[in-house]
Amino acid sequence: MPAPASASGDQPAAPLLECPFTQGDLPRLRMLVDQYAHREGLPEPRRGEFVVAVDAVATNAIEHAGGGGTLTLQRADGHLECHIHDSGPGFTADAIPPLAPGIDDHTAGHGLWIATLITDHLTISADTNGTTVALTMRLPH
Amino acid sequence: MAAADDAASAGTIPVQQLRAGDHAFVGYDDDDAGRDVVAGFAWAGLAKRERVMVFAAPQLAEDEVWDRLDVPGPLLGAARDRGQLVVSSMRALIHPARTFTPERQWQRIEEETDRALADGYRGLRTYIDMHWVADLDADVATMMYRESHAEHLFSGRPYTEICAYDSRWFAPEVLTAMHRAHPCRLLPHLGALHTEHTDDAVRLAGEADISTREQFVAALREGLARSADAGRLTVDLSRLSFLSVACTMDLLRLAGSATHDRIEVRCQPTVARILRRVDVGPLPGLRVSEVSR
Repeated sequence: MPAPASASGDQPAAPLLECPFTQGDLPRLRMLVDQYAHREGLPEPRRGEFVVAVDAVATNAIEHAGGGGTLTLQRADGHLECHIHDSGPGFTADAIPPLAPGIDDHTAGHGLWIATLITDHLTISADTNGTTVALTMRLPH
Repeated sequence: MAAADDAASAGTIPVQQLRAGDHAFVGYDDDDAGRDVVAGFAWAGLAKRERVMVFAAPQLAEDEVWDRLDVPGPLLGAARDRGQLVVSSMRALIHPARTFTPERQWQRIEEETDRALADGYRGLRTYIDMHWVADLDADVATMMYRESHAEHLFSGRPYTEICAYDSRWFAPEVLTAMHRAHPCRLLPHLGALHTEHTDDAVRLAGEADISTREQFVAALREGLARSADAGRLTVDLSRLSFLSVACTMDLLRLAGSATHDRIEVRCQPTVARILRRVDVGPLPGLRVSEVSR
């Protein structure tokens, strides 16, 4: 699995959570992400938005990249980072519409677009092993 | 009446929406069904800096209980070692008494709540599998009295309790009475979606995601159809603990294509924020109102 750089460029800390997932794991995974985000001090409503964004990216992996992936959650330099890796055919940031897609546009990447909207930072990196989407939320001081 | 039917009746909430001071009923009818409920309840308590006591079914070995509570990463961590997370039994709780009485159990729970506060925790939460009734050869009617007269444990106190009933063991009339006796009823597992309809409202509880999306859309369609003549519909999402992006877009898409004069969406603040931030153009009849549990 590629190791995306942390938001600060520092070495990432040991993961809070690292687990493979398929569709049936999502409810449990969302609850874990929520609890760890709470534990690390991410307040509502940002915490709820983070969980929505994580679910959107994980669901994208389930629907388009072989039914699942691996989620890694970690704290690094005042940020909470979630990396979702899949082994699908790969995609780039071009898959994210630059403007709000229409509600009747079923081909648009609504999930990735909203994930970009509600997180502080979203990056996509791809190599021969698959694709990793990194979602970052700034933690309060 | 099956426990699953009990758990899916009016007023049901997902375990994620439990608050300090809640006294909740949950039913189960197989040994793994409630596994996520107890685990999620325990994890939330640890994150909220509460002490968590799990009184599991007496027939389970302690190692099995710990396996059910286990979580990847450091969340569980030292909680077990420092006594924040405790696995015990009703038999041990009421010791040295050997016979169950409501008064003895209430006394011990009040003592444990005080002890949790004295130890620096924000409160106490307990998960009580009701198989203790058989283990202590207790009278079911006495247990039912306890369940129906326990308000003082919760009133103004940082105490939260889930009572888990195995529908294979308790009689249907006991389950019905206990379901009614508890102020809160829980969905039987994580990821479930429960829907209720009236002529002018559709109410959803639980989680709307990739697994329940078809059910979510069907519930909205039915609500719109039933209220078409009146032209007004309330979509009550206040007991949803999760609404995915795809389901959010389904909601907006259906609202946008409806001929209703007014569609009011009642929802938690996170859902309201996302609905407002998704700029999909004007939907004149749509009103979003925030509600908090």
